[in-house]
Amino acid sequence: MIAPDLETRAARLNARYRNHAAVQVLRHALADPELGRVALVSSFGAESVVLLHMLSVAAPDTPVLFVDTRMLFPETLEYQRQIAAALPLTDIRVIRADDAALAEADPDGRLHQRDTDACCDLRKVVPLERALSGFDAWITGRKRFQGGERSGLDFFEPEPPLRLRVNPLAHWRPQDVAEYMEENALPRHPLVARGYPSIGCAPCTSAVKAGEDPRAGRWRGAEKTECGIHFIGGKPRPVAPLPAEPVSAPRPSAAPLPLRGAGPGPLSKDDEMTTAAPTAPARQPAAAAAGPAAAPADAPVLVRDDGFHPVDTAPDVALPPDSDPAALAPCLGASLVAVEFPAMTDGRGFTLARLLREQGFSGRIRATGALIADQYAMARRVGIDEVQIPAELARRQPQEQWLARADWQDWDHRSRLAG
Amino acid sequence: MFDAATDGRSYLRHRAAQFRAQVARRIDGSLTEDEFRPLRLMNGVYLQLHAYMLRVAIPYGTISPAQMRGLARIAERWDRGYGHFTTRQNIQFHWAALVDIPDMLDALADVGLHAIQTSGNTVRNVTTDAFAGAAADEIEDPRPWAELLRYWSTDHAEFQFLPRKFKIAISGGERDRAVIPAHDIGLRLRRQGREVGFEVWIGGGLGRTPLIGKVVRDFLPAADLLPYIESILAAYNLSGRRDNKYKARLKITVAERGLEVLREEIEAEFLRRKAVFSSGAPEALLDELRARFAAPRFRAPDDTGYEIALAANPSFRAWSDTNLSPHRQPGHASVTVTLKAPDMTPGDCTAAQMRLLADLAERHAYSDLRIAHDQNIVLPHVHRSELPALYAALRDAGLATANKGRITDIISCPGMDFCTLATARSIPIARELADYVRARDLEDDIGPFDLRISGCINACGHHHLGHVGILGLDRAGVENYQITLGGDGYEIPSIGERAGAGFPYDQVVPAIGRLIDAYLGLRDAPEERFIDALRRLGAAPFRAALYPEAADGKAAK
Repeated sequence: MIAPDLETRAARLNARYRNHAAVQVLRHALADPELGRVALVSSFGAESVVLLHMLSVAAPDTPVLFVDTRMLFPETLEYQRQIAAALPLTDIRVIRADDAALAEADPDGRLHQRDTDACCDLRKVVPLERALSGFDAWITGRKRFQGGERSGLDFFEPEPPLRLRVNPLAHWRPQDVAEYMEENALPRHPLVARGYPSIGCAPCTSAVKAGEDPRAGRWRGAEKTECGIHFIGGKPRPVAPLPAEPVSAPRPSAAPLPLRGAGPGPLSKDDEMTTAAPTAPARQPAAAAAGPAAAPADAPVLVRDDGFHPVDTAPDVALPPDSDPAALAPCLGASLVAVEFPAMTDGRGFTLARLLREQGFSGRIRATGALIADQYAMARRVGIDEVQIPAELARRQPQEQWLARADWQDWDHRSRLAG
Repeated sequence: MFDAATDGRSYLRHRAAQFRAQVARRIDGSLTEDEFRPLRLMNGVYLQLHAYMLRVAIPYGTISPAQMRGLARIAERWDRGYGHFTTRQNIQFHWAALVDIPDMLDALADVGLHAIQTSGNTVRNVTTDAFAGAAADEIEDPRPWAELLRYWSTDHAEFQFLPRKFKIAISGGERDRAVIPAHDIGLRLRRQGREVGFEVWIGGGLGRTPLIGKVVRDFLPAADLLPYIESILAAYNLSGRRDNKYKARLKITVAERGLEVLREEIEAEFLRRKAVFSSGAPEALLDELRARFAAPRFRAPDDTGYEIALAANPSFRAWSDTNLSPHRQPGHASVTVTLKAPDMTPGDCTAAQMRLLADLAERHAYSDLRIAHDQNIVLPHVHRSELPALYAALRDAGLATANKGRITDIISCPGMDFCTLATARSIPIARELADYVRARDLEDDIGPFDLRISGCINACGHHHLGHVGILGLDRAGVENYQITLGGDGYEIPSIGERAGAGFPYDQVVPAIGRLIDAYLGLRDAPEERFIDALRRLGAAPFRAALYPEAADGKAAK
């Protein structure tokens, strides 16, 4: 018997599996009596093969539900057959809307042009809901990095009134997906190579261009971002609150934690998947941010050894991380140079700042971008004078966390050697 | 310096406190998971299959008895009573709880050890020859330089967020025992007239793209070491690829941009950095370090007991033949204690074994211990007169296996039994292979044989450098093992070549068995090692032994 309190169960399961890897979540989840009967729902889309492969290793007899909307790309159907043949999954069920319902609601097959939501409901949401009625939980391949409503995903998610959703890949990064496919030599959906990093029905999916979000090709031009199957049992409900830049956000005091800082969390380039369009790191135009019109709550902050300051002057020059180290001469006469850090894991700016100092630059160096309090001492040691941070980070890592690293001159081993 | 002086201990405590605060800030939401990950990695904390893993550095492999006992206490208190020595002079505790790790770091600081920069995209633990300061062929003890590099690289602000991890090894012997060509930077001590300097190699590495490094500078005066190394790192930090982690190591930068282009950048930057390091090598500091690593006051007692024991005890003689290495001091030898006894997991060491080794080092070996990259423990200085008693004590503890450099002295990563990255098991393969060879009593007959196993393409078991390497992969959910032939990490640096299609788990031991039989039949004398026979004959006859069906098929058609 399944415990009645869905939220409690989801929370308990999340706590139990908090530190587990995806394959462990999947494996344990399938054996966990608290979950009951489980099915995997797969679109056989761009990244589906990862979960299907994992399942085929962990529990190949688990039912796999594939919704054929009869609007899919022929490539998807072919790919579905290819995977079904390659993996030892023993219970793949193809789910379709029944003919009578289709004939009544979409006789000409053009409902999607008039009302995409109704079309999704008819061909996908309703048939799946019916197919899931015998299950206590279902497994999805959604990931936090896909953004939007998926940004707050946990491994286990309540789906009122009675079901749980299991998201083993919730914490995977694009690179994890790519690596897994590569390591296991899994076949790729043929459309991925043709610019479709996320694949739905043919009429409502288009290719995405470099620089676009991987899901930008879904219902392009419409506000719609989800087909609706993930709202079954309730409206969109990110589990961890992910407000768009809360105006007076109190510091989160307890779990659940925000995933990344609010706003477009810049991924390090290591994390980008080759098939997907990279998420462009958000850059702060320093000058605009310094303008008097900027609302104080959203204004970036300058950190120095004595704490937070408002951003004063704009830099004369901004050095992006791919600046040519042999061509820094024009910067040397500036009074304020900004060295950009597109991600906290991208340390090129540390060397650029050091090169400026080596070449005799005596003006101010400001780090802009994604440095965090824990990197303040590093910035100071290479010759950076101040770090500009967005308001969100200033709230999350308040002044005292930066002041704790104002001791940068202590324990600076290299400076003792270099004199 | 932070491993002996009070000043050093307080730095380690400061770092432990910093990490404790980072864990708290992760929990209260100040740090996101993405921000916390690199911070925990640069403190040696990995998320493994079963739990967090803490990787502790044994800098340049040198460890005192007191430090060894410190590791034993940690193993007992926070782990399951043992630790795992890796191929890079580290020890890993695989069963740590995140909340305990700050306490573990404090306990390490108490004995002058740490886990700083044992992971992350930064300069890692500097490794060297386990026989440093003892080897007969040594130009100079590399450890003062290794310690200088450690001091310089620890918390080096510029290089904490490199494109990828960065490994430096340094070797002082005529024979390279630190696998110099398989490192991002390899340094070989050289003498030019009266001047000591380094031959500098860059761009080596194993992993999924194994490459032998290249010499970027034939002779670097020792005093220029730090500015030159910084110039290499600065060039790499700016031009190493950050778009693909598999292309991010220096070896790829060298391969893609070319050694000459990089050399020009390095030399240009070197001139500027040299000006900053105006004082050259900090001579006073180096003198202090040389004093710290000075050899013990060697004794010269009577050693007739050793000769008598050799004549009287064949097992002692066999152990002496395999597990002793020549020492520069007459009457002395270096002893290798292999952690490769039957039923042992390569590299695993229990708390009781650590304490015993600490005691034996104090009693018989001038209180010096080393961790070797082949996952063994070395007592670098032992007078011959101490050997019979040392041997007896090791034998009673099951640590006197006479197999150093033998086929059962297998290097192996933890594999899928522990590691999240692993795609196949490696420890059970190592054990079954050793059992097989022992059951056929072939260890001595085969003689020197370098066998290495990695449980995934990241190659922590350095399989490419084994005379025979085994690489475990996952093929659609099934373990599959590729065999490489002809690797060498010592004399003629070379990367082993894949022999052919992989074998399923249960076919690996029989395949190696066929390989051994082929070698025993083909060698021209018992002295001809496997690697020499392979070089003389080429891979074809050994491939034929590995794949008899293919060979038969060819013959039939």
